[in-house]
Formats: sequence, structure tokens, C-alpha cells
Amino acid sequence: MQTPLRIDPARMLADIATFQRKLAAGMGHLRDMREPEYANTPRELVYSEDKLKVWHFTGHGRATAKTPLLIVYALVNTVWMTDLQADRSMVRNLLAQGEDVYLIDWGYPDGADRWLTLDDYLNGYLDRCVDAVRERHGLEAINLLGICQGGAFSLCYTALHPGKVKNLVTMVTPVDFHTPDNMLSSWCRNMDVDLFVDAMGNIPAGLMNYVYLTLKPLRLNQQKYIGLVDILDNPVELENFLRMERWIFDSPDQAGEAFRQFIKDFYQGNKLVKGTLEIGGQTVDLGMITQPVLNIFAEQDHLVPPDASRALGKHVGSTDYTQLAFKGGHIGIYVSGRAQREVPPAIHQWLRQRD
Amino acid sequence: MTDPANDFIRDYQALAQQSWDAWARQFQPQPAANPFAPPPAPVAGNDMLERTLAGLKGYFDWMQAAAAGGTAPQPGSDWRQQLQQMFGSASQPFAQAFGGIDSAGAEGFARQWQSWMQAAQHSGFGDLPGAHGPTPAFGLNREQQMQQQALTAALLEAMQASARYQELIQRANTQGMQRLQDRLARHAEPGRQIDSLKGLYDLWVDASEEAYAEIALSDEFREAYGEMVNAQMRVRKLQQQQTEQLCQQLGVPTRSEVSSLGERLQAMRRELAALKRQLAENRAAVPAVSKAAPARPAVAAKKAPAKAARKPAAASGHSQRQHQ
Repeated sequence: MQTPLRIDPARMLADIATFQRKLAAGMGHLRDMREPEYANTPRELVYSEDKLKVWHFTGHGRATAKTPLLIVYALVNTVWMTDLQADRSMVRNLLAQGEDVYLIDWGYPDGADRWLTLDDYLNGYLDRCVDAVRERHGLEAINLLGICQGGAFSLCYTALHPGKVKNLVTMVTPVDFHTPDNMLSSWCRNMDVDLFVDAMGNIPAGLMNYVYLTLKPLRLNQQKYIGLVDILDNPVELENFLRMERWIFDSPDQAGEAFRQFIKDFYQGNKLVKGTLEIGGQTVDLGMITQPVLNIFAEQDHLVPPDASRALGKHVGSTDYTQLAFKGGHIGIYVSGRAQREVPPAIHQWLRQRD
Repeated sequence: MTDPANDFIRDYQALAQQSWDAWARQFQPQPAANPFAPPPAPVAGNDMLERTLAGLKGYFDWMQAAAAGGTAPQPGSDWRQQLQQMFGSASQPFAQAFGGIDSAGAEGFARQWQSWMQAAQHSGFGDLPGAHGPTPAFGLNREQQMQQQALTAALLEAMQASARYQELIQRANTQGMQRLQDRLARHAEPGRQIDSLKGLYDLWVDASEEAYAEIALSDEFREAYGEMVNAQMRVRKLQQQQTEQLCQQLGVPTRSEVSSLGERLQAMRRELAALKRQLAENRAAVPAVSKAAPARPAVAAKKAPAKAARKPAAASGHSQRQHQ
């Protein structure tokens, strides 16, 4: 029988030497590297409350879209993934298409935010952000683009405040939290969330990041950094890598009460698809969403499995429902080259037909 | 008699190790000149560097070991045995790779236990009661003794839960190796053989992640995970309880008191927001009344949305522009 291993000892030594050389050469680059900036597309602050801010992107030209688009991001990580760097910015590409883009930066909760509930976030903060944008444009309803947990929030909000949402776009949004391939959901199913939040208060960002890393421990803790050695001598790629690291680990803590409710009702109870979810005493019925809905998900998403997103089609009340599968992962859907070419134009085309 | 080839590899390894150590030292904080000075603040991004170095070191050590001759695959030899030598030995860093993913949590917990023991002794509690099983408590300090015993029991439970979790991680490690062998068997034909250490490493990562994912999605893992988290939280709660009692004795505000104030404050903010919303709705309804009574000056009807608790940037002086 042939051996599957045909590694020449001289090649091994050469590999080690190359590894060492790249490390040595890259050391200077790494030490001299400053904290990489995000894209910082020009924007103006139009509303603020407590720690949240609503930004309006000013762009280079006048928006052609009649209805503004408000991006609703997750409470986990920061919204700047949508405007990561100049050539990897969903925001810039949406502006280039003619969209009038706003986004909510939720900020970094601290002890004062410990008791914020989902009712406070959705019927309080989010509703007032939507009102602020509606008022600026003198419109009854605006477009929402919800991302990940922010997509779940957008669904709830649209069901609860249908008159204020014209079109709804959801991206990598979990809807059915009990698909068999949902690792996060499986892990927290037996957790005593009351005990967890009572003991922790707000949930530290470091703990959240640790859990995410353990979804793919070898890839995310080791293989990724071995790949880094190959780009240590490339300042541009190294800067991109460090920018992504900054985004991954510069993340906010989670307000305790909102976390408790989200884990209990969404991850454990799967109430969004069961129709038993209550926010602020009102039942959230996805069947009440009759607005046009564009649901975009990533086929290689390890955080929100595609089936978790696809489930929306079965539960939403809208007769104008479009589903778009993107070949990529949970993050690649914003920052990959393919994403720049495919996603913003698809969103814009879909919205334009309904503007 | 010396073997020139082996000598070369040994010399090379020593040189490579020195080079690695020098590289790693670049990122270590310099020792303070004053031995009583506090430790230096972590460098920005140091967490990433530490993680990077830890990951790279494991890979680097493995490459060196594989190149040391004895583990290099030889034509015609049993490749499965060679594979075991390259990955399976306990001394190889990859053998602990999966075991290490929870090392931070596990280590933290061991430290927690140790420091709690020390703190308890220093604060006059003496040896932790209940470490050798629960015993009845009575008298003036009964409550404290019962709490100490509960904490000790919780710590032991947490350690057992953590051990059960680690067992599953080790199982993933073992199954990953079996899957690697299965995958390699499909690479035996000429043209499909693995010809670099990096190629072998990547294949191992694929196989191990696959094995891990299967276990991590199992009911058994779900139970072990939940049990571990819950056990750790019970410990944390009991520790907080005892710490707060000490704080109360010293007149120091506790986390619970601050949290309780926060809860009341948030409830008041909700009530205030609701009242503002109601007020705005009432004001919006006024024009309709005014139209019915023309003697009073008309007020323009406003269809704008409710402004409860809103703070428009322009009105509050927060308007600003962000440019590159």
C-alpha cells in the first residue's frame, strides 16, 4: 500500500526555515503597526439617547432612494462591520447605489444599563430611532435592514409597529433557533439563564468572545494565526487582519436583562416561530408582517445556520417574500470581495422596485 | 561516532528555538526596575499577540519535532504508526490542543478556588468547613458555617462538571486523530499524497474540527456544558453572597444594593417615558378640540410621531459630523 505522506525531510526543514524567516521579517511590521481605523465613511449624528447614536451617512452624492434605510445591528459586536474599511464597506456600496443610509450604534452598556429589557430596546430605543428618521423625512414608514440579532429585533419591531416599516431586509437573521446544526443554541439549552444573569449582571464581552471562539477552536485559535505568518510581510493585508481582529474583540458587554430574555425566549423557548413571544406585554406574531421582506443568509454561516434563517419564509405573513442565499460565511457576507459585488446591489435593486 | 545529519538537525533546532525565543521576547513586557512597582499595563492588542504566540508556538514545536528525523515518514514504513508519533504522543503540543481550549476557564477556576481558600483563611474563617463532607452547624455562627459548606460543595461540584466537560474535549481530540487517518487513507494514490507539513496540519484541523462539531452538537455535550456553566455560576453567587456580607460589616455598598437602585431607576425611566408619550398624544389631540371651539386660537395639527424621551441631536447640541 502506498503511503499518503510523502514529505521530504529537506522540505520539512525548508518549511520551518520559511516559517522562521517570515516571523522574523514580520516582527518589525507587527510592532510598528498602529491600531487600524475603520472606514469612517462621512456621517452626521442625527439622534442620541443614553449610549446609542443614530448616524446618517452623508455620502458623496444625493441619494436617489425616496425612502431612507435604517440599519439595525445586533447588540453583540459593533455595527462597524458594515463600514469596516474603504474597499469593504456595505454602507459605502449602498450609498453608491443611491440608498439613503442610517444606522444605530447601540454603544457599550455598563452597570447603568443592567436592567434594560427587550421591551426597552425595541419599544423604547428602536422605536424612538425609527421615529427620529421618519420625522427627518416626513414619512410614515421607512425601510429597515436588520442584521443577525438585529434582524430578529427588526422582525419583532415590524410585527409590533407595522405602520412604521415600509420594507424589511433581514441579513443572517436567526428565526428558528432550534435547527439541529445550531451549536450556540444547543449549548445554552440546559443553562440556567436566571442563575447566569443573577450571578454575572451584565454579560462580559470577553466571555461572549470566548464562547464564539470555542465554536471552532482550532480554526479560530490557532490555524487563523498560522495563516497570519504568511501575510506578516504584507502591510496592507496585515492591516486588514488587525482591523478585523479589532472588530472581533472590541465588543460591548450585554445588558443583563435583555440577555436573559433573549436566551430564554429565543434560544431556549424558540418563541419567535412558535408565536408565543411577548415583548412589552404584546405578542409578536410573524404572521402580522405583511410588508415586503428580503431575507439574505449565508450558506456557510457557523453562527446562524442557513436553515435558522430560511425558516422565516414559513412564518412571515408577507406575500412579497424574497430569499437570497449568499455563498460565504457570517462575516464574509459583509466584507468579502464577492459580498461587495453582490449584496448591496441586490438590496438596492429589491428596494428600488418597492420604493 | 557522530551522525552529521542528526547533528545538523539538532543544531538547526537549537538555532530555531533561540530565534523563536528572541521573537517571543519582543512582545513580553519589560520587568519593572522597581520590584515593588505594579505590573506594567498590558500593551494594546497584547491579548491578540499572546494568543497568536501560543498558537504559533504549538505549530512551531510540532514542525520541529516532525523534522527531527525519528518522526519523519519513511517510504515503505507504516504511515499510521508514524502519524501517531507525529500527533499522538502526550509530549506533542497538539495532543493537548483540544484540551487547551478551555484551559483559560479551567485554570481560572483552579485559581479561584485557591484564592478563595487563602482569602477565607486570612479573613479569619479558618479552614473551609465542609471540604471533607457536610457537617451540622449550630450556634452564633451557624449561618456563616452553612454558607461556607454550601460554597465548598458548590466548588467541588463545579470541578466535577469541568472534568466531565474536559473528558468530552479529549474524546474530540481522539476522534479527530481517527478521522485524520481516514482522510489520509484517501490520499494514498500518487498525485494525491500530502507533501508538506502545512498540508498535513490543515488536514488535521479539518478532521479535528469535524469530530469536535459532532460531539459539541450531541445531547451529552449539551448536558455537560449546561452543568458546567450552572455549577460555576452557583459558586459565583455564593462567593458574592459572602463577599457582600463582609462589605456590609465594613459599611461598603454592595453590588446587590447598586443593582437594586439601578432596577428602580430603570422602572422610573419607563414610567417617565410612558407619561411623556401620553402627554404627546394628549397634545396632538388638542387641535381637534380647538377646531370644535373656534373662539380659541387654532394650533397646527402635528402628525409627527410621539417624542417620548427623545433627544433630537440638533436640539440638544449633539449634532456633529464625522469625517475621515
